[in-house]
Amino acid sequence: MTMDHGQGYAYMERSGFRGDGVGRRRRLPAGLRAPVEARAWKEFGYTLLSLPIGITAFVFAVTMLSLGAGLLITFIGIPVLAAALAGCRGFGALERTRARALLDLDIAAPEPLRPRARGAFSVIGAVLKSGASWRHVLYSLLLMPWSIFSFVVAVAFWSYGWVMLTYPLWFWLFPLYGGQGGIQLYGDDNHRIYLDNPFEIGVTAATGLLVTLAAPWILRALTTVDRVLVAGLLGPSRLASRVVELESDRGVVVDTAAADLRRIERDLHDGAQARLVALAMDLGLAKEKLTEDPEAAARMVDEAHGEVKIALQELRDLARGIHPAVLTDRGLDAALSALAARCTVPVQVEVDLAARPAAAIEGIAYFTVSELLQNISKHSRATQGSVDVWRSDDRLMLQVIDNGAGGADVSAGSGLAGLAERLDAVDGILVVDSPQGGPTAVTAELPWRQG
Amino acid sequence: MRVVIAEDSVLLREGLTRLLTDRGHDVVAGVGDADALIKTITDLAARDALPDVVVADVRMPPTHTDEGVRAAVYLRSRHPDLGVLVLSQYVEEQYATELLAGSSRGVGYLLKDRVAEVREFVDAVVRVAEGGTALDPEVVAQLLGRSRKQDVLAGLTPREREVLGLMAEGRTNSAVARQLVVSDGAVEKHVSNIFLKLGLSPSDGDHRRVLAVLTYLNS
Repeated sequence: MTMDHGQGYAYMERSGFRGDGVGRRRRLPAGLRAPVEARAWKEFGYTLLSLPIGITAFVFAVTMLSLGAGLLITFIGIPVLAAALAGCRGFGALERTRARALLDLDIAAPEPLRPRARGAFSVIGAVLKSGASWRHVLYSLLLMPWSIFSFVVAVAFWSYGWVMLTYPLWFWLFPLYGGQGGIQLYGDDNHRIYLDNPFEIGVTAATGLLVTLAAPWILRALTTVDRVLVAGLLGPSRLASRVVELESDRGVVVDTAAADLRRIERDLHDGAQARLVALAMDLGLAKEKLTEDPEAAARMVDEAHGEVKIALQELRDLARGIHPAVLTDRGLDAALSALAARCTVPVQVEVDLAARPAAAIEGIAYFTVSELLQNISKHSRATQGSVDVWRSDDRLMLQVIDNGAGGADVSAGSGLAGLAERLDAVDGILVVDSPQGGPTAVTAELPWRQG
Repeated sequence: MRVVIAEDSVLLREGLTRLLTDRGHDVVAGVGDADALIKTITDLAARDALPDVVVADVRMPPTHTDEGVRAAVYLRSRHPDLGVLVLSQYVEEQYATELLAGSSRGVGYLLKDRVAEVREFVDAVVRVAEGGTALDPEVVAQLLGRSRKQDVLAGLTPREREVLGLMAEGRTNSAVARQLVVSDGAVEKHVSNIFLKLGLSPSDGDHRRVLAVLTYLNS
């Protein structure tokens, strides 16, 4: 009879749970959904794991540190200390993985050790001097007390909640416990209170429901502290993060410079150089013809003359592409007006600057507008455009607008993405607003540096 | 002489075509990249109409690096009778070494600027078409400069070094004589002195002589 009930119950719960799971996701507010969501269970798992891990790390750190400190009078203490620190760093790597898997918290590894030379002594020195090592030790020491507390709180809330919530089922399955009906809530020699009437059972289940609903938020609060610990003590220091950022920026700058040089070399090779070779060839032919066929020679010299003028034009364009003279001489207003004049679409230029920015910033602003105007000429099918430049506190703002077809490509590898990367390298920002059908507005922000 | 031109700059391709046609040579085809060149030559060979010489730019699409040299090396291995003259904006002794690997028969490597000297340039194309060699003076200078046999080279008189350079470019005795404004006999005397000092056995054919000199310089 009991078995039947049990099977029936199991079946009911399975089907019911499935129905609830699907239905709840659609109907129920986050507060009611939280106890059955994967996130809550993962955080619970994290808190459970913290206790054994915290104790192990604490024991390791305390043992090794005291051993190392005790042995410091002899030389052997230093490598022992270094081993303690290195162990804590390795443990930190595990912890970052655990946080990534269970808390969805992605923390980068701290700055690597940079021993000055090869050899054990340099490595030991680097381990001991690295601030990150000591932060890892601090984490190893702090984790245990915190994990004991959070373990107790989490387990209490989680288990009491679910047990109380399902109390009616327990009561139904096992009406008698220790010869009495229901669980003993309170008891001394005189009074004993058993949860055995429907009202008490109902109150117990309701309390269980409240505790179950509260448990995920308690867990979230507990793991927030874990997140702070992991992020603050196991990640790269702020200085190191900035160094990584700058290294990446510098990489972009170097890449950009190399790409520019390649472009210039290509332009020279395909343009002016080829034209000059053709010119030399024409003149060579003319020289050969000078005596036998002066008329043909004159024609060739004429052609060569035309070639040399085109070659000069190409060299001038190329030089302007490297750095426009007018930008240096007259500033952004004149240079951008010249750019706009060469655009195939009529473009209105408005530059509102009381002073000139630094030459580097001016150059970047110029090339940004130049590329955006080229895009307008090539892709936009616009009939008019505008360029606005102004200063807003410590930022130089550029805005290029056209009334073309919109839908500008900002995916990786596109010209705009390249532009955004180059601006990023100088702490600038590029914002593209280009809905299908237009209009397109591209806004760039550069840091203002006084020229 | 039947010529195929591979050059991605239309301007230069047409210039070269005009220059060669003007001198009474037959430009069979003009192409813009290495793949088209190999395809054209393969087609012509299949019709038993292999040209005498290919004039190819080093840098062509798609990568704009050295596809001209690679195509030239490939064509020379497939068609040993085909002369290949490679033109380059810059002189890279490495490219010359790759081209000359194996044989110096019907191979040339010149700076593009050389087309300005129309007569010399066309002479070089004809020389390569006939199985001779045409190496740019700058390539030869690099080869001479890089050779590990500096001590032996130092034993040559200035005039002999000049003759050695012109010889390495692939010129015949009479061409060398014309260039240096001396008699053919004088050049022959210099040449046999050079071969004696370098310890090479004198050989008759111009291109075999070049090969001997280049092998010597490169070893």
